[in-house]
Order: sequence, then C-alpha cells, then structure tokens
Amino acid sequence: MATSTGRVSGTTRDRAAGATDSARGRGRGRQAGPVRRSLSQYWYAWAMVAPVVVVTAALIGWPLVRGVYLSLTDATEATMGRTIGVNVIPSTYEFVGLDNYVGVLTSGLFWEKLTWTVVWTVACVALHYGVGLGLALMLNRRLRFRSVYRLLLILPWAVPPFVAAFIWRYLYNSDYGVINAMLRAAGLGGVGWLDDPTTAKIAVIAVNVWIGIPFMMMAMLGGLQSIPKELYEAAEVDGATPWQRFRFVTVPGLRTVSSTVLLLGTIWTFNMFPLIFLITGGGPGSSTEILVTYAYREAFTGVRNYAGSAAWGVIILLLLVVMALVYRRALRKQGEVW
Amino acid sequence: MSTATAGPAKGRRVRVRGRGERSVGSSILLHGTLVVASVISLFPIVWLVLTSLKPRDGWLSTELKLFDGSSLDNYARVLTGTQFPSWLFNSVVIAGLTTVIGVFLASTTGYAISRFRFPGYRGVMWMLLVTQMFPVAILIVPLYNLMAGLGLLNQIPGLVIAYMTVAVPFCAWMMKGYFDSIPREIDQAGMIDGLTPFGTFWRVVLPLARPSLAVTAFYSFMTAWGEVAYASVFMTGDDKRTLAAGLQQFVGQYWADWGLLTAAAVLIAVPAAVVFLFVQRHLVAGLTSGATKL
Amino acid sequence: MRRAFSTATIVAALALAVSACGGGDGGTAAAPSQAAPADPSQISGEITWWDTVRPDSEGPTFQALIQEFQAKYPKIKVNYVNVPSDQAQNKFQTAAQAGSGAPDVIRSEVAWTSQFASLGYLQPLDGSRAVENESDFLAGPLSSTKYNGKTYAVPQVTDTLALLYNKRLLKEAGHEKAPATVEELKQVALDVKEKAGVNGLALNVDSYFLLPFMYGEGGDLLDVQSKKITVNSPANVKAMTTVADLVTSGAAAKPAIQDSYANAMTALKDGKVAMIYNGPWALAEIYQGKEFKDKENLGIAPVPAGSVKAGAPTGGWNLAIYAGSKNIDASYEFVRFMSTAEAQAKVAKEISLLPTRTSAYDNPDVQGNKDVAVFKPIMDTATPRPWIPEGGQLFQPLLEGYQSLLGGKTTPEEMLKTVDEKYRGIFKGWS
Repeated sequence: MATSTGRVSGTTRDRAAGATDSARGRGRGRQAGPVRRSLSQYWYAWAMVAPVVVVTAALIGWPLVRGVYLSLTDATEATMGRTIGVNVIPSTYEFVGLDNYVGVLTSGLFWEKLTWTVVWTVACVALHYGVGLGLALMLNRRLRFRSVYRLLLILPWAVPPFVAAFIWRYLYNSDYGVINAMLRAAGLGGVGWLDDPTTAKIAVIAVNVWIGIPFMMMAMLGGLQSIPKELYEAAEVDGATPWQRFRFVTVPGLRTVSSTVLLLGTIWTFNMFPLIFLITGGGPGSSTEILVTYAYREAFTGVRNYAGSAAWGVIILLLLVVMALVYRRALRKQGEVW
Repeated sequence: MSTATAGPAKGRRVRVRGRGERSVGSSILLHGTLVVASVISLFPIVWLVLTSLKPRDGWLSTELKLFDGSSLDNYARVLTGTQFPSWLFNSVVIAGLTTVIGVFLASTTGYAISRFRFPGYRGVMWMLLVTQMFPVAILIVPLYNLMAGLGLLNQIPGLVIAYMTVAVPFCAWMMKGYFDSIPREIDQAGMIDGLTPFGTFWRVVLPLARPSLAVTAFYSFMTAWGEVAYASVFMTGDDKRTLAAGLQQFVGQYWADWGLLTAAAVLIAVPAAVVFLFVQRHLVAGLTSGATKL
Repeated sequence: MRRAFSTATIVAALALAVSACGGGDGGTAAAPSQAAPADPSQISGEITWWDTVRPDSEGPTFQALIQEFQAKYPKIKVNYVNVPSDQAQNKFQTAAQAGSGAPDVIRSEVAWTSQFASLGYLQPLDGSRAVENESDFLAGPLSSTKYNGKTYAVPQVTDTLALLYNKRLLKEAGHEKAPATVEELKQVALDVKEKAGVNGLALNVDSYFLLPFMYGEGGDLLDVQSKKITVNSPANVKAMTTVADLVTSGAAAKPAIQDSYANAMTALKDGKVAMIYNGPWALAEIYQGKEFKDKENLGIAPVPAGSVKAGAPTGGWNLAIYAGSKNIDASYEFVRFMSTAEAQAKVAKEISLLPTRTSAYDNPDVQGNKDVAVFKPIMDTATPRPWIPEGGQLFQPLLEGYQSLLGGKTTPEEMLKTVDEKYRGIFKGWS
C-alpha cells in the first residue's frame, strides 16, 4: 500500500484505502514518462468524473471566476458596456480593488445580518438534528403503525419548498390565519406572527424546521439501522442503562452520518433563499433578512449592482468554505478520515 | 451495515430479544409524541387540500370554516383554464431527464472518488462541496448569460443541465459513501473475471448499490420537480414553464388565486408523494450508508 | 427571433459568451426603420409580448385584442406571455442585458420605464409609427414615457388611488358622504367603529399607499429639479404622525404587516371594515365580495386631503419595445394598435382600466362604465411621481420604515431620518 507521499504505483492504483492522495505528487511529473503513465493509470477515473467536472466547471466555475473579477470592479448594469439595437452603451466600469469588500464588511448591516444568519442556521440545524434524531429513535423501536407514522412524518418533503412557504404564510396570517383562529378559539388571542421581528424570526425558523426534519429523520433512521444489533445486546448483557446504551453505542454509531448531514444541513440552511424571501420578504423592517436575501435585495433592486452582488456572493461562499475547513479539521482531530 | 433486505419485520424479531417490554405508560407517551408530530407534519398539507376545495369566497375569509361549499371546481379550472397540462409535461420530462442523467453521473463520479485515488481527487471532492455553497440567487445573472450564449435558454436541456449542478454534487457524495461500504474484494473479483474497471462498476458494483441509487434518484427528482428560481428565469416562454414556475402565475403582488394555487400544489405534491411511497424503504438504507464517510 | 445555435457553433458561441457575457452581442440587431412601409398591414414577423395583467380576469380582454390585431395584420404573429407583475421587471432586466430571451414588447410599469430606458434596453420611439397623435395622451402618464427628452414608451393604462368605502356601513355610522379630509376620515372611522361595530379603516402597509398622506401635507420624496432629497421634511413628519395616529387612536385597525393588502381587501369584501385606499385594479375583486353583490354599495371618492391638498400618486402601465427586437417594425404596429382610443375604450369598458387618451373618455362605451367615470376626475388631480431611473429603489427603504413605525419600533422622525440616510446612499451628491 502506498503510504508515502510519492506516486501511487500501478498495482495499487485502484485500492483507495490508505492511499494518501497522489494529487500532492502532481507537480513532480515533469517528464513525458509519468504523464503518459498517469494517463494510462487514471484514465478510467478521469473519464468517470469528467462529465460532472466539465458541466460544473462551465456552469459554476465560469460564473465564479467572472464574479471574482467583477467584485474587484465597480460594474453595474449601467456601466457595463453593451449594444442593444440602436442603443450603444460604452463600458465605463473600472478596477477598484477591494473597495466592494471593504464596503460590505464595514457596513454595520453586514454584521447584523451575519449574526442573524448564524442564529438562524444554528437554530434550524440544531432543531432539525435534535427533532430528527428524536423521531428516528422512536421510529426505530418496535412499534405499532410504525410505517404509517414514518409516511406521515416524511410527507412535508414531498411539498415543494415554495409551496410550503405560501401555505405557511397563509396559516400565519394575523387576521385570517388558521393558527390565530385556533389561538382565539382557545381564548388566547391572536399573535401577529409575521408582524413583529421576534415572532417573525420564530415563525420562519419553524417553517424551515418543518421542511427539513423529514430529511434529517430519514438519514438518522438509516444511521440507527446500520448500527449492529449485537452492540446493543452486548451492552445490555453488561448491564448498561438505556442512557448508557444511547451514549456509548448509538452516538458513536451515528457519528459518520451526523457529520455529513450536519455539514450539508448547515450549507443548505445558510443559503435558504426562497423560504425567507417568500414568507416575510425579509420583513418586518429587514429583521428576518439573512445574508443571501439581503445581498439579493441590495444588488437587484433598481439598477443592478453587479460588482456589489459579486462581492456578496464571494463573501458568502468564503464564509461557507471557511466553515467547512474548520469543520473538517475538527473531524480530523476526532479521527475521522476525509 | 443494513441493506435493503433487512426489512422491519426482521429487525423487529431481533430486537424483541434485546429489550424488555415497554410499560403502558411509556407506550402512551411514545404514541402520543408520534401522533402530535404527525399532526404537525400533516396539518399544513391538510389545510392545503381543504383550501383547494373551497370556492373563491372561502380562501381568505373573516370566518374560518373547514369545509365551505367543497367542490372540485378549482381542479377543473387548473386543468382546463390554464397551461397546467403543458407545464406538467415539461416538469415530467425535465424531472425525468434530470433523474436519469443525474443518477448516472452521480454514480460514476461517486464510484471514481470512492475507488480511485487519482490526481485531482481532492479537487473533485471540494468541487462537489463548494458547488452546494453557491448562493444561486445572487449569481443567476451570469448563469443566464452563459445559457444565452450557449443557446440553451427556454430549452428543456438547458434547465436539465442547470439542475445537474444542483443535484449531482449531493448525489455523488452520497453514492461515494455507499460505494465505500461495499467491500473492495467484490471489485477485485470482477477484475479477475476480466472485466474492465467500468465493466466492474456497471455489472457488479452498481447493482449492489440499489438503495443508494433510490435516494439519488429521489433527490434528483425532487430537486427538478420543485425548483423555482432557475425555472422561472431560464424558461421564458409561457408553454415552456415547469409546474413550479407556472404556479407562481397564480399569486401576484395585488391578488392571489388561492384556489388555483392550492389545487395545483396538490396536483404537484401527489406524484412526489407517490414516488415517496415507492422509494421510502430504500431511502432509509440508502441515506444511511451513503453518508457513512464525509 | 431567438437565434438558435447549432451544436457545431457551440464552441464559437462559448467564445462569444466569454467575450460578451453581460454585454450581449448586439451586432445583429435590426436597424430602426427610417420610413414606414407603404402598407403597414403587409409587415410580417413574429413578436412576443410580456403582459403583466391578472391572467384570469384581465388577460382574456387583451388576448381578444391580439386576435383583432392579427386579423388586421395577417402576417404578424403575436406570442402572448403573461408574467406576474412583481417578477416582470426583474426578468426583463435579466433577459434584456443578455440580449437573448427578452420579449419584443413589454408592458412596463410607469416607474420602470425610465430605468429601462437609462440602461439602453428600450427602442426610442420618437417619430416612429408606434406613437400616434401624442398630444391626445394625458399629461401625467405621458411624462412617464420620457427619458432625457426622448420617448421610450406609449402609455397604455393609468391609475391612481382613491378612497373605497362601504356605503351601508357609513350610513349606519351616520355619514352620507365620504370623508374629504384626513381629519374627517378619522372621525368617520371612529364613528363606524362605535355605531356599526366594525373597523373604520384598513391600511395597506406599502410605500405606494403612503404617498397620499405625504402629498396631502405637501411633502414628497424627492425634488428632482433641484436634486434634493426631501423625504425628511416637516410635512412628511406630520403625515407619518397622522398615519401612526390613525392606528393608535383605533380609527384604523392595527394592520397586518405581511399580507396587509389581501387582509384589507378581505375585510372590506366581507363588511368587516368600512374604508380602504385602493386603485381601479381592485374593483373587479371587490365586486366579487358578498358586501358588494349590489355594486351600488361601493363608494369611490378622492383620497382625503391633508392640511395642504388632496393628492394621490399617478400609476399605470406603458408599452415599450425592446431595442434588441428583431421585429421592430411589427412591434411598432402592435404598440400603435394597442394604444388606439378604440383599443383603450374596449379595455376600459370590459375591465375598467383607465384609458390614457383624452379622446377615449369621449367614447360612449367608456362613459357608460361607472367606475371609469368616477375615477376620471380623481385622475385629473393625481400627482406625477419623479420619473427617474432610481425611482424603483425608493420604495424599499420607505416600506421598511413604515413597517417599523406601525410596529411601534420607531417614531415618525426617526423613521424619516433612516429613510433619508438610505436615499443618500442611492443618490450620491444630492443635497
């Protein structure tokens, strides 16, 4: 097994386990020989990833490169040169260095929105995970009507998010919504759910939790079922309490599933544009605006600010990349391989 | 590692031995919690269905009623008075293509990054992750320009390609995890039988990965079925819209035809729920193992 | 129309996209026609029209007009696409800048027109066949089609805000006439609440609906002539104080901030509120409500005056032509046809949208439409808004302020100060 940092030899090329990534050796293959050899070696692998890489590079890579470039200029819809029919607009945008980034990062609003975005993401992901795990634990038990429960609980997944956003807005309606009607019937009086910053924040988190739990629950259920039963039996023989079984068998058994779904859940929630945009439109005031919706509004109202929107996009992307790096490092420390 | 064959019945028997009987109290608690959770999960959907049966006056009314002159009028209006049928056709084609191509690409990619350590491996892994971090709302304009330059605007293939970039990264990741859980000896056996690496993948490994394929298919399908942002911007013709994009027509700034919206939403959710019914058992097994390695 | 790339030219197209991304390659755009063809009815081509009306209640009228147009111009085919009004601006901007996927003709809101024109998206129409008898158009709507001295659109319909009220409820409260001033409005609303037992007034939490209060006190958002931001003025503070007082005094129900438009309309239709501010576009929906089965029960009056005057904003829609259209001549004819007095009269008669031509109001069909007749005098006093490219950016800060004000999170003074600061970010160098 090639464990050195050198090139992986031919015989071990397709045995992944333990092979440190040979990408590090990439720079050394200067002579013709290794190039040809690596072509013949990695031909299959490259062919298999090629379609995805090409499509992604074109559709994501190109806008990304262009976005980075634009974010260093002062391009707007008005200064970007173009000819449309008889109208000729000269290109007048200029390179401005990091001005856009400085502008965003020094605005008080950015930090305000970032704080709320972090709160939103943490709250949503924690609830997704906690409730999802709780339900999965229940569904993993011997239980009457288990498949009925399971079906009912995953149904929200079948509702497209934007439809869900509309339904919930309808349910939350402060005058004629069902939720307030029930509260009033119970003698509690209605709540202006989307009319007050605090309740509006709770309301959007609740909707996102509603939408996201089925995925988390199914992933956790899968994770639970993959834990060998023998482990539980052994623990029981050793006289472990239910809590100890959970703590020392279930939790470690779920670690790998959890690490993936938590990372993906965080990324998805961080960029959850449609929900907030459709339910509150960022209001009241701009209290429920997360970074993406705020950036969208900043850059796309009126004459579009291409440079500004690109800077926002790059900042959001960087925040997530940094998050992923830190997360990966933390996992590494716990002995996870990536 | 659980596989598709480990049905609940089997699991139940195993566990009976392990754990003692539940007390009546905890049974009630357990069922109570699950019932409450199910009600919460179901309530908005039930309300959606009820609203879709109401006439115009009942959508938003000062008096709330469960049933208010229920009829299927809204469904009739959706099916005959709008472009719903052609939207449905577009959605089925687009979601179908996205699913088939997406599953294929995700599994080849997943297999490659699971089995081979090739130059660029790490780059591919990061690419799959970073792609999901892309704030779509903000960078939709350059994408539009790209589509326009490629002549893919208002074309079904254009939208399918766009959905690939959303669905494939997640799916490839899931598939990679699942392939990791399939012993390498199986590949080697295939190789010894004289199969090419691709042949091994196609004939030997892929059939074993069925649960994960189900998840991937499901995820791709749902992505294409419910997506709005790309669909409403890239498909400029009225007859080229997908269901999700078409639905937005029913809710304007100063008016909302809740009857049409809810009826159409129910019609959209039903096929998705049916797909669910078929794959939900695989879903559990697939997601699990799929996620075993980050 | 759209240029389709064959697979063989994809590489070339890619290169083009790289070089012209964001710019669009306009080399193939049609040159404007210098002289009108001898026989306009022989013009051929296929044009796409993005309409923004309600597809169910208003769409059919326009589709019928298209049929008439196609009968008159047998060689022109019109593709009708309905785009929701709140998405049309964004979608058009995206498509127009790319040079592909944009419609030939767009129904452009009055406030968008100058913005589109400033970005070079619109075909100048001066001297073209699209504009016919320009002096016949009402001055307010016509002013919205001008940018830098050129004409970029043709007014299609116009609108404004009025006070819509439930006559029965007002009568129960002892009022035969609609309130003429904001003070009276408050009194009438309180009377309704006391005597009829329902809310007097429902506010729609939206910037546009705030303008009558500002105009009423003599305030405005901007002074375009002298490049001044005037939103933070004593007049506007007074207006905002009045609005806040309407809610705190109980004259107006505490409005929902989300969906307040729909809620106000629902309450009016069900007889749970006596008065709302709204425009002619809302009438069709209101008449579907149970309180207005008898249309006579709905009263329409000018917006109540503030201490200075009664002023409602001018709204409406124009028809504009995309400069990159491949069928400019056919588009000219279409715009011309859709803005004739006859076409406008048909629209006014069937769906009560207000014509933009003076001569259309002489048409017996239009005069026979009561709603149009009622709105006409209100229209005459409507205040034109500043038609500037940045006009579309004015409303969001105002909306956020309005929401905070009603939520009790800010005072009128603070609210206007915040709005003023945000405007300064948009209009750099204005005083």
